[in-house]
Amino acid sequence: MIPAPFEYVAPSSVDEAVQALAAAGEDAKVLAGGQSLLPVLRMRLAAPTTLVDLRKVAELRGVREDGGDLVIGAMTTHYDVQRDPLVAEHAALLKAATDTVADPQVRHRGTFGGAIAHADPAGDLAAPVLAMDASLVIAGPGGRRTVAAADFFQDFFTTALAPDELLVEVRLPKHTGWRAHYEKFTRVAQAWSMVAVAATVRTEGGVIEEARVALTNMGSTPVRAVAVEQALVGASANADVIRAAAAHAADGTSPAADGNSDVEYRQHLARVLTGRALTAAVGA
Amino acid sequence: MRLDHEFTVPAPLEEVWQAVIDPERVAPCMPGAALTKVEGDSFTGTVKVKLGPISLLYKGSGEFLEKDEAARKVVIKAAGKDSRGGGTAAATVTVTLSSTADGGTHGDVASDIAITGRPAQFGRGLISEVGGKLLDTFAGNLAESLRTDSGAGAAPGSAAASAGSGSVSTAPATAAAPATEAAAKGDLAEQSAADSAEAGSSASKPQLRSVPSGGSTGETEAIDLLDYAGQSVAKRLIPVAAGAAVLFVVFMIIRALRRR
Repeated sequence: MIPAPFEYVAPSSVDEAVQALAAAGEDAKVLAGGQSLLPVLRMRLAAPTTLVDLRKVAELRGVREDGGDLVIGAMTTHYDVQRDPLVAEHAALLKAATDTVADPQVRHRGTFGGAIAHADPAGDLAAPVLAMDASLVIAGPGGRRTVAAADFFQDFFTTALAPDELLVEVRLPKHTGWRAHYEKFTRVAQAWSMVAVAATVRTEGGVIEEARVALTNMGSTPVRAVAVEQALVGASANADVIRAAAAHAADGTSPAADGNSDVEYRQHLARVLTGRALTAAVGA
Repeated sequence: MRLDHEFTVPAPLEEVWQAVIDPERVAPCMPGAALTKVEGDSFTGTVKVKLGPISLLYKGSGEFLEKDEAARKVVIKAAGKDSRGGGTAAATVTVTLSSTADGGTHGDVASDIAITGRPAQFGRGLISEVGGKLLDTFAGNLAESLRTDSGAGAAPGSAAASAGSGSVSTAPATAAAPATEAAAKGDLAEQSAADSAEAGSSASKPQLRSVPSGGSTGETEAIDLLDYAGQSVAKRLIPVAAGAAVLFVVFMIIRALRRR
């Protein structure tokens, strides 16, 4: 199907992009990799007046270090995130999750920032971003602001981004030496996660010093499995501890039901997948 | 899909009743809704729904099927069509009012919603959630407007419209909020021009006529609340229909060839 007509602009800097968005009004949309937006346009589920394409904005691409943070540009493709040595060293969880995103074609076109801004509750990158306590840098007409991941994801497909703002970069505190695993459950290959679990832990001498666990698709936004984290910290990294902790994975969650899974099933999945993710991450 | 909501407002029953049976007071309570015409018990209008990348404009109509003052029950039916042709939404909303012990009014809002078309494809189960949230907002706005002006002038509309386009059906009951206005489906024609602003090209589309499920719809406005919900069923039927059409064509070709 053919999208409804729209204006198209391709600015070459963040400032120009912000100006273009402001000029285009509230029915403009930002185009990153287009892997979610284009299907929506083609189905005519949206008909923006203007598309602001960020592909020429070189400053939005790439991964760099900034003190204790790893800074990932919003337009960095999933493929580049997967292969970046800094990501592998300081954000193993993000790499693990990115490895599971869609298929190679999508990973070459789709962008990290685009996926985060899209905020699909079944998207795989929001949970790691939340688990790692990332900060998101947003540019708008009034300059730049930084929003914590916990405040960024607000609802289904809804974030702290205003219509005239764009996501510039994601700052992940370095989790150097942490082990990580992203456990994803799908009904068929390449499907969206029915439920997925992002887990990363830091162990020392067989004891879990720190743990971060977040769940994908167990609510309208990614959620931290706080009870699981609390049950892990200070305990020794063994199967019994993991089993006991994972039993709390669904605590306080209210996932939506759909044709494939009801609430109870999803909560069961969360517990089982958390156990698997932690087992893989801890190496127990 | 059936949704149930309830609300309580500190306004006398009679006042709330008057508000509920007045489309011009009910419609503004629906997020994104605008009335274009009110004629007696019928109304036409639009409902704009935005969710992340999705932006839909439903145009349609609705009517009050029943206004039972004795029972303090109003039934509103509304149906609408996405202005860009992507689908339909219909709802039947029943609002029942009763007095509370402290002189306030309690309302039960039961909505039956059917949605068809592409929005369902995107849904993955989100539709009912989104619809529930819209209804929650509607019920909240209604209660708020009744609270604010308790006189008859308030804006509360309690009636939710319901749209019933009849298309697909539904889903299991979700819990969420009920108050729905109905989505309307309806004639696009009137409003297509208006939509074009948003969609650009939509204006030129032919108008589609929605078939109300169940009842006759007057021309009313559409309020779409729940645009998204429910389309998955419709979507599933599409391949079936397409398959049947192909079979039919093949059959006709074979028959034509045989005649020679």
